[in-house]
Amino acid sequence: MKNTMKIAVAFLAVFMVSCAEDDTSDIIINATTTHNTTNNNGSENTSTSETIYLSGTYVEDLSLEATNTYILNGALVMASGTVLTIAPGTVIKALAAGSDIYVAIAQGAKINAIGTVSNPIVFTSDAAAPKAGDWGGLILLGKAPINSVTGGDLTSTSEIGALPYGGAFVADNSGVLKYVRVEYSGGKADGQSENNGFSFYGVGNGTTVSYIQMFEGLDDGIEFFGGTVNVDFLSVVNAQDDSIDWTEGFSGNITNAYVKHGVNHDKGIEADGFNTDIGNNSNPLYFSAPTVSNVTIVGLGASEGGEAVRLRAGTQGVFTNFKIIGFKEGFDLDGDATTSPTGQGVVDGLLKVIDITFTDITLKMKNDTGFTFTEATFISGDGNGTGTDYATWGAGWTVE
Amino acid sequence: MKKISTVLLMFTFMISFGQEKGILKGTVYDKEFNNESLPFANVYIKGTTIGTTTEMDGTYMFSIAPGTYTVVFSFLGYETMAHEGVVINSGETVVLNKTLNSSSGVALNEILIQGVLKKESVAALLTAQKKAVAIQQSIGATELSQKGIGDAAAAVTKISGISKEGATNVYVRGLGDRYLNTTLNGLSLPSNDINKKNIDLNLFSTDIIQNVSVSKAYSVQLYGDFAAGNINIKTKEYHGDGMLELALGGGRNTAVNGTGFKKSEGTGAFGFYNRYNHNPYAVVLSHSVDPVKGWTPVNITGSIVAGKTFRFSDESRLSLFATLSFDKQYDFITGEEVDYSTVEKKKFPHVDKYETKSTTTSLFHAAYRIDDRNKLTFNSLFVNAAKDQVAYYGTQGLGANRDAKLNTDTGFYQMNVQFNQDIIYVNQLLGTHSSEDEKLEVDWGVGYNKVISREPDRKRFSLENYHYALDDDATTNPSVFQNNSFDNQRYFESIRDAEFTSRIQLSYLVSDRFKLLVGYDGKYKKRHFENVRYGYKNIASSLEVDPSNFNSIFNLQNISDGLIETDVFNAIYPEGGFGPTNLPGLLENTYNGKLTVMAPYIAAEFKAGNWLFVPGMRIEKFEQEISWDVINLLNNPGEASIHENLYLPSLNIKYSLHEDQNLRFAVSNTVSFPEFKEMAPYVYEGVTSRTGGNPDLLGQQEGINYTHIKDVSYSAILNLDLKYEWFISADEMFSIAGFAKQIKNPVNLVVANDATGTQRFFRTGNKAVIKGVELELKKNILVNSDGKTLLGTGFNVAYMDTKQDLFSTVSGTFSTSFDRDTEELQGASPLLVNASISYHPSFGDSVDAGINLMASYFSDRIYALGSGQLGNKIEKGFTTVDLIWKNKIGKHLEFNVSAKNLLNPAINVERVLTETKSVVIKSYKYGINVGFQLKYKF
Repeated sequence: MKNTMKIAVAFLAVFMVSCAEDDTSDIIINATTTHNTTNNNGSENTSTSETIYLSGTYVEDLSLEATNTYILNGALVMASGTVLTIAPGTVIKALAAGSDIYVAIAQGAKINAIGTVSNPIVFTSDAAAPKAGDWGGLILLGKAPINSVTGGDLTSTSEIGALPYGGAFVADNSGVLKYVRVEYSGGKADGQSENNGFSFYGVGNGTTVSYIQMFEGLDDGIEFFGGTVNVDFLSVVNAQDDSIDWTEGFSGNITNAYVKHGVNHDKGIEADGFNTDIGNNSNPLYFSAPTVSNVTIVGLGASEGGEAVRLRAGTQGVFTNFKIIGFKEGFDLDGDATTSPTGQGVVDGLLKVIDITFTDITLKMKNDTGFTFTEATFISGDGNGTGTDYATWGAGWTVE
Repeated sequence: MKKISTVLLMFTFMISFGQEKGILKGTVYDKEFNNESLPFANVYIKGTTIGTTTEMDGTYMFSIAPGTYTVVFSFLGYETMAHEGVVINSGETVVLNKTLNSSSGVALNEILIQGVLKKESVAALLTAQKKAVAIQQSIGATELSQKGIGDAAAAVTKISGISKEGATNVYVRGLGDRYLNTTLNGLSLPSNDINKKNIDLNLFSTDIIQNVSVSKAYSVQLYGDFAAGNINIKTKEYHGDGMLELALGGGRNTAVNGTGFKKSEGTGAFGFYNRYNHNPYAVVLSHSVDPVKGWTPVNITGSIVAGKTFRFSDESRLSLFATLSFDKQYDFITGEEVDYSTVEKKKFPHVDKYETKSTTTSLFHAAYRIDDRNKLTFNSLFVNAAKDQVAYYGTQGLGANRDAKLNTDTGFYQMNVQFNQDIIYVNQLLGTHSSEDEKLEVDWGVGYNKVISREPDRKRFSLENYHYALDDDATTNPSVFQNNSFDNQRYFESIRDAEFTSRIQLSYLVSDRFKLLVGYDGKYKKRHFENVRYGYKNIASSLEVDPSNFNSIFNLQNISDGLIETDVFNAIYPEGGFGPTNLPGLLENTYNGKLTVMAPYIAAEFKAGNWLFVPGMRIEKFEQEISWDVINLLNNPGEASIHENLYLPSLNIKYSLHEDQNLRFAVSNTVSFPEFKEMAPYVYEGVTSRTGGNPDLLGQQEGINYTHIKDVSYSAILNLDLKYEWFISADEMFSIAGFAKQIKNPVNLVVANDATGTQRFFRTGNKAVIKGVELELKKNILVNSDGKTLLGTGFNVAYMDTKQDLFSTVSGTFSTSFDRDTEELQGASPLLVNASISYHPSFGDSVDAGINLMASYFSDRIYALGSGQLGNKIEKGFTTVDLIWKNKIGKHLEFNVSAKNLLNPAINVERVLTETKSVVIKSYKYGINVGFQLKYKF
């Protein structure tokens, strides 16, 4: 009897487990690799051409030369006090490894990446058939004000890598970006956030940013998390999320910007007054309020849907000389009467459009702010916009 | 303060009577057992409620006013004996010993069974509580069974100041999981859940519980990581000659309608999953994603309980006890969920969840009584608990996502198909020994525990324009939402814990008034966590979307045809050209935790008249290490560790006001340490929330610029308790207690200041202070002529006031900020009430029936602290009502009926926006569970 019981129990156990199915095939990868891996990981500058792997946190200056091949195989972080100098014509190829491949200029560090029209500096993918999202992107973090903290020296942490940013230093200088192109960026950081082509976290207006392009990005083209940095001659082509994005009290100027959407895209501009995940903690209270001038946004046509500009969470801003082509909606305004008073900005004249031309647009303005105002209150000079002269300033160093 | 003085007044009043009495004491012996002493026998004065129950050693003692009495001795199954003409004089002690023998016509084995069951009875536990040197409350198998309580989780909520949140979280005096410890037979128990410190008490069915006790005041035998309470589950012991019991039951949740129940593909009927041995990517490629038709949703329970005793001599015996039970439960849960910070980010006005739970529990217990003075016990527990949940968010097409691409106003939809399996093994060897004169007692135990907790192949898919699937227009279809590759994902997680645990205690009775206790506790625990996820990207827009057939999109053929691609975080060999696309990857996040505790302690029990003083000191060497390798963190891989030597004094004082009234006071220093999951900076991404750990809780990492929290690695706690208890009769009692606690640098879950709204654990202020009062009453209302309770009631209530100060900003690796100086403590309900009524109707002599109606309520409490501009998340209070009807029919049969969650309230969590306005972020109804059970005892 005892033995029978024992066997019965053993049988029961086997039976209980085996009730679940398996039927899983094995994976066999048939592939050969001819990748050259003979190189060093050093940061030394050499005059002869070689392949150099870049990653890790640098506590000393680093200079990159156009003659070398650079492969970014992890997060390259320039620590406070260091300078990353990149010679014109230098190409930095990022390993298409999935995540945590990006270049970050931490608070107190600088980047001096000064290319030329004929020799721009290019951050791109190492893949044989590159695709948007192959790697992260270029991240600058500064000490300029952000409205996600109460003020002073208080910092927030970045969506990518959890690096500190923000402060009270309006004229903070993170260096110079000139004639710089970022390609195939936008790799995921986790299951809900992705890198942008260019991410500016609390970057101050002592920084110089001119002639930059984001080409083929899986996420946003350029995103501003607070800060005061001014950008001119900005090109964003084929960003699959928003082409230009700001939040956390960004207050710089964007002058001469060209945005062109590809098949996969979200908004041309997506603007938030503050970070709605943590709230507007500034004291005194302020919202994002940039000045955006001479902008052309090209969509896929009104019949394909889409929105050119989404204004949310109390953002303010003055939009001058715009040209918007081929969207179902021109401006879509969201907000409420309390924490996200986007409509209040319109009523007070702090959020407005001056001189614009809509081409192939079904609806020029959609008002979901809870405030009542007319299109004319928000938009003046309809038909007067000329946009930016991308054919001239974009020639030579951009790709499309 | 006013409340405290009222309490003190009451105590003073109680002290004022109970003088000028005599004492009656003695020992009761068991004739059927070689004149051994008989514990738990009743001794009382005829015609009164004055009396007591004998102790473990058969002794009894109580004081009584001078006079001449008839003293009655009784024990279930034994002949009741009366001793007439006992004269008690003021200030004198009378010794009266008695030997009881079995009444004629009752089989011996049954008496033994019943005698043992007595140890789990309300009366026996109240006696233990009365006798206990520290503040402790227990609930035993008898009460559990009478009240129809199915598991330990429900059991503890019958004790004052305890509440349950959702299905598994237990709160003691408003302090949740992180402030509690759970032990099994005094040895620590691991948790079955990555997110918890304490094991799910639902896993312990009443079949295997002798009693559950909650120690709310600290004594040195407990681990120093103590804040609110220690829950100890004592597994059942068997002493009878042989028994076999079979039980079968069925039931249904009233919310379940029809038979269209859903479950995960590939899971077994008994809660097992057979693909753990394969690389997760092989599972992704080989298996489909849609849920499949579930089993017929009728709840089933079944169990076998067997026991046998082998007697070797009068003194020596081996008792074996084993149970095997299986439980399958189906629930259909409906409600809504919203992700709301300062704006509505995601909303799902309609959520449907199909949940299938399968639980197998087995316990083997062997007790070898070598002789009167030496005993060895072995316990082996196995639990397999599986939960299979198929959840649809945004049915009816009314969901929305602020960051959707095609439509931010309507039609956002997600499906989450998740299977969790927890396997737990607990093995314990325990021993008790005493010297011949019984002055020296040694009590020891060693244990090895293992937990394997896995979440294999969780599938989550996201759609936009879902309402197009509901209209009759064949030309419009939903689209796959793909902002990130992981909006459509398959997730694999595994956690393994192993733990060695040990204790030894020597107690020496130096004199009648002085007992010395010396002991040592040690434990070593380690955890390994790992996960990997595969996402889908570049999903061709040409693929037509049918929400009931995700298989048609996410299949191997479409990968081969280049219509979809898989993605992973850590590519297997990117330098060699093996990238993240369409290839297996390396693990995404891992962490390893280690915990070592070595703790010698010393305590003494001094008796002086009616006073009992128990001073104690515990020295704890505490080491904790955490190392991690996670995605999206610069300081990675990383590690943090602490080594602390803690000196934890405690003092428990008991003053016996009267033979049945005690006044107790306890003061102690304890600590609270962060848990592994609170420190590991890994982020779990739920459907509407994200939660991650924070190594800043240790405040020890180089190169981090800390604000307020540098070098703060634990919370120091000061505990104060004052309690009055009155044991009105054998199964009636009243108690009132006041308590206060100060917790330094408390840990709270708050939203971190980053761009994603991730909730993390932070040390949020200098200190939290908790003050509260508890009241408990067990009273018989109607008693029949045989002394049997016909109508009884139990009631307990706890009222608390909590306050913690908040730093304006906390920063380290992560940061957060607060716009206010003080707040209530997270998880603390100001008011907790539990009440029950039991009625024993008469259905003739052969039926022993009991009907119990139980209700419990807690008031609103903070679920998560609001940071920045965000308001608190509040868990709204609600009332639970259960009805249980048990019938013992004859000697062998039992038929029970139950209906649980009768009010079926919506269980809500809200986000506070302004003082008068809040928004519901979670609201679910769980349905009423009705069931029956048939038991047969051979």
